[in-house]
Amino acid sequence: MAQASQRIRNFSIIAHIDHGKSTLADRLIEYTGALSKREMEEQVLDSMDLERERGITIKLQAVRLSYQAKDGEVYELNLIDTPGHVDFTYEVSRSLAACEGALLVVDAVQGIEAQTLANVYLALENNLEIIPVINKIDLPSAEPERVQQEIEDVIGLDASDAILASAKVGTGVEEILERIVTMVPPPQGDDDAPLKALIFDSKFDAYKGAISYVRVVEGRVAKGTTMKMMSTGKEFEVTEVGVFTPAMKIVEELKAGQVGFIAASIKNVKDTQVGDTITDAERPAAEPLPGYRKSTPMVFCGLYPVETNDYNRLRDSLEKLHLNDASLVFEPETSAALGFGFRCGFLGLLHMEIIQERLEREYDLNLITTAPSVIYKVKNILGEVLDIDNPANLPPVDQIETIAEPVVKATILVPADFVGPIMELNQEKRGTYLAMDYVSKSRVRLVYELPLSEIVFDYFDELKSRTKGYASLDYELAGYKESDLVKIDVLLNGELVDALSFIVHRSKSYNRGRKLVEKLQGIIPRQMFEIPIQSVIGNRVIARETVRAMRKDVLAKCYGGDISRKRKLLEKQKAGKKRMKQVGNVEIPQDAFMAVLKIED
Amino acid sequence: MPSLYVHVPFCIQKCDYCAFYSHGLTDYSKELIPLYLEGLEMEMANHQKDAPQGVSSLFIGGGTPTALPLENLDHLLKLIIRNFSFAERAEKTTEGNPGTLTREKLILLREYGINRFSLGVQAFDDNLLRNVGRIHSAQQARDGVQLLRTLGFANINLDLMFGLPGQSMSLWKKSVEEALSYRPEHLSLYGLMLEEGTPLYDRFGEGLDGAESTGAQGLPDDDVQADMQEWAVEHLEKAGYLHYETSNFALPGFECRHNLGYWRGEEYLGLGPGGVSCLKRIRQKNVENVRAYWASLHEGKEPLDEEGKEMLSLEDCMAERMILGLRLREGVSFTKFREDFGVDLRNIYGDVLERYRNRDCFVIRGDRLSLNEKYAFVANGILREFVRGAG
Repeated sequence: MAQASQRIRNFSIIAHIDHGKSTLADRLIEYTGALSKREMEEQVLDSMDLERERGITIKLQAVRLSYQAKDGEVYELNLIDTPGHVDFTYEVSRSLAACEGALLVVDAVQGIEAQTLANVYLALENNLEIIPVINKIDLPSAEPERVQQEIEDVIGLDASDAILASAKVGTGVEEILERIVTMVPPPQGDDDAPLKALIFDSKFDAYKGAISYVRVVEGRVAKGTTMKMMSTGKEFEVTEVGVFTPAMKIVEELKAGQVGFIAASIKNVKDTQVGDTITDAERPAAEPLPGYRKSTPMVFCGLYPVETNDYNRLRDSLEKLHLNDASLVFEPETSAALGFGFRCGFLGLLHMEIIQERLEREYDLNLITTAPSVIYKVKNILGEVLDIDNPANLPPVDQIETIAEPVVKATILVPADFVGPIMELNQEKRGTYLAMDYVSKSRVRLVYELPLSEIVFDYFDELKSRTKGYASLDYELAGYKESDLVKIDVLLNGELVDALSFIVHRSKSYNRGRKLVEKLQGIIPRQMFEIPIQSVIGNRVIARETVRAMRKDVLAKCYGGDISRKRKLLEKQKAGKKRMKQVGNVEIPQDAFMAVLKIED
Repeated sequence: MPSLYVHVPFCIQKCDYCAFYSHGLTDYSKELIPLYLEGLEMEMANHQKDAPQGVSSLFIGGGTPTALPLENLDHLLKLIIRNFSFAERAEKTTEGNPGTLTREKLILLREYGINRFSLGVQAFDDNLLRNVGRIHSAQQARDGVQLLRTLGFANINLDLMFGLPGQSMSLWKKSVEEALSYRPEHLSLYGLMLEEGTPLYDRFGEGLDGAESTGAQGLPDDDVQADMQEWAVEHLEKAGYLHYETSNFALPGFECRHNLGYWRGEEYLGLGPGGVSCLKRIRQKNVENVRAYWASLHEGKEPLDEEGKEMLSLEDCMAERMILGLRLREGVSFTKFREDFGVDLRNIYGDVLERYRNRDCFVIRGDRLSLNEKYAFVANGILREFVRGAG
């Protein structure tokens, strides 16, 4: 049996957004004949709209390719796609852990970009064989030599034999496949050892239940196996195992080295957590595979329907999304300003944006999202510790003993030229320096402890703008630290709008309070009445602006010939206003609730 | 008794801001005049039955009725007089452009009993007039007012516009003051509206506030326009005019009765291509095409546009009563509302009245609900409350 696994290659593709990962994947699928051209259009290209539009992979894909190499043998190549954003770093690390090799795809014009780096390092940590591919060489402005040099300088990889490719026109595809066969080591692992299968993704299917996407590391699994989740001890009877062609195809069994899926009528995706190890209940492995981590939401925000009667629809939609995404958590909450909604937890900001957009698009909901917050641990005067994930729920100042905020260990990789600006940024963001080292001649790794709230605030944007996009960031939660934090409330027209409250370090409170009212003044349109906007800490007003009353909003003419038209115009305007939330007498546009994120320190 | 509007879809040349149905008079469109009159003759015959007791008022509008050649104008007036009887001392208005007035035409109008004339002055400033494609000069407007008075028109309206490209506050004041110097019985002051499909819309888009549109020949911004409006209201009221409707001012007793009919929710007949009628709760609009208008009538059909008859729901009728009635200083009558719709206004719109109570938006005086004068120019915010929010 060891023979068979010699002809398996498991690999993934690492690439920056727009560097051609999807096109290359499509090309590989097409070349190996997994799908006809027509099927390509229908199946591969028909993944989530959002992914296509943003050029990012949200949900992982896996596909098995059958390739007859020049040596005459037929190889089973398993391509495991990876998402390309720090919110999903953990998911990336698990899919890389399921591979022995990775294609590093770099754009021949743009060169290496930040997001690629973190993933390359993850791949190196997982001891993957890396095959550099310089893509888009068909472009007139392509500079493959320069990019080759960059790969060597920045990543420290030998790129002298990098494959020059153009996924668009199909150049280099065969060479890539050959190189995968010759360079990527076949999976190790004993078919006869106790089962160990790594879950690198999961998906909910209405008929089959939660399906685990796995890489079998050792042993074998087939229909009828009683499988056991090593993190929870839960057991399920396997109903189906199969591979991705890319359509799901049932097979007899999956063996060490193979990539495929396992269905076991599991009702909840929570039971198929990414990173967990599946073993055989009757002959369990002694140790799970390393690296399992329970997914914990880090960022929280309120989601409210603009139309109050959409509440049930919002709940149903969240439940549906949750079926496929165990990392999304939500529970009902009530806001005095916004009514009934949900407090939702996400892996990060992108995850939050994606969920919000999917709710609006796929479920046609009109939503108000409040500014994201983290979980604060508040010790009150009774000595109780409260988890506060909504600033509006912070107890009054005189009942608070201490507040602690989550901190992360942040690793930043950046060209040496930008070390200064990064240090400055981290200083501004209340960071604590931990370490710095050179990973190559020109590249530096900086390690800082940073408050998570600062990362949620605008850290990414700042990082990008201060390093021309050349910095990459990875972070992991590193506990809680006490801090001098205050809550800022916002009053519109004298009324507290709880959904606009936020928690901030005292040293920044005055500045952010002032900037927020300025921002809100720009976002809230002029209305029939003047609207004072105030930010307050406790009872103390720290800033005030006014939205002047509108002075002209009238139909100059309205006679017999156009009464219907004018009535319909007013109806249309009224419908347009529905995108705003009426709080008291004030109409507040949706983006006002995110305004706090758009201010600069 | 309904009022009667007759649409004349011809002018010398369309103005840059105008979205009404009208043909600039070219050799081609001149051929349409006989078809138009023939169609009108057939249509009037069909509609006599809608006004068994005659009509309460007449308004000949356009387009530019006075752009018609003398003999066509004569024909038009003859058709009206032959087909409809009028209430006693009925108000009969004709609109006209200062560039189209001749002594002969005005005498003709007087002979047919036209007792009110509405003159489209827009501004007493040649530069501003040119900016929006008006065909006449300020001097022609002055001469026109003079001629109307000489020929015995004792009820004259002057239309003025503010918010014109290149118009400053001082230019606006100049036009208003000159208009007042002629002591017209009625003044309409319209804020320029950018209507889609007009040359002015193409020039400025919807961006009234855009910096690019606020240059020397650009549009005054909303604040300047509001200042213009407020100044005019104050100035005209001092001069003895009543601000009786959003954009209309009159010396006491000279409010336009025809237009009051629209705002009070009374029935009206609108004939000619593009004309709109509203009888009972049915509103219908004629097709905006002279040939199609004529052809339908020729085949014995009603010359309606593709939307045909619109049966207004009770809800829409009530909403219209509010959005029209609140344009008037006199406001909406509770009694008439109940008579017309069988329900109390307060039962239908009590929540709206309540919501704005502390803002002092509404004034209730006796049987009437009106809008506080200080919100007259931001009325849409309140008027939207009365309509459906369907998009």
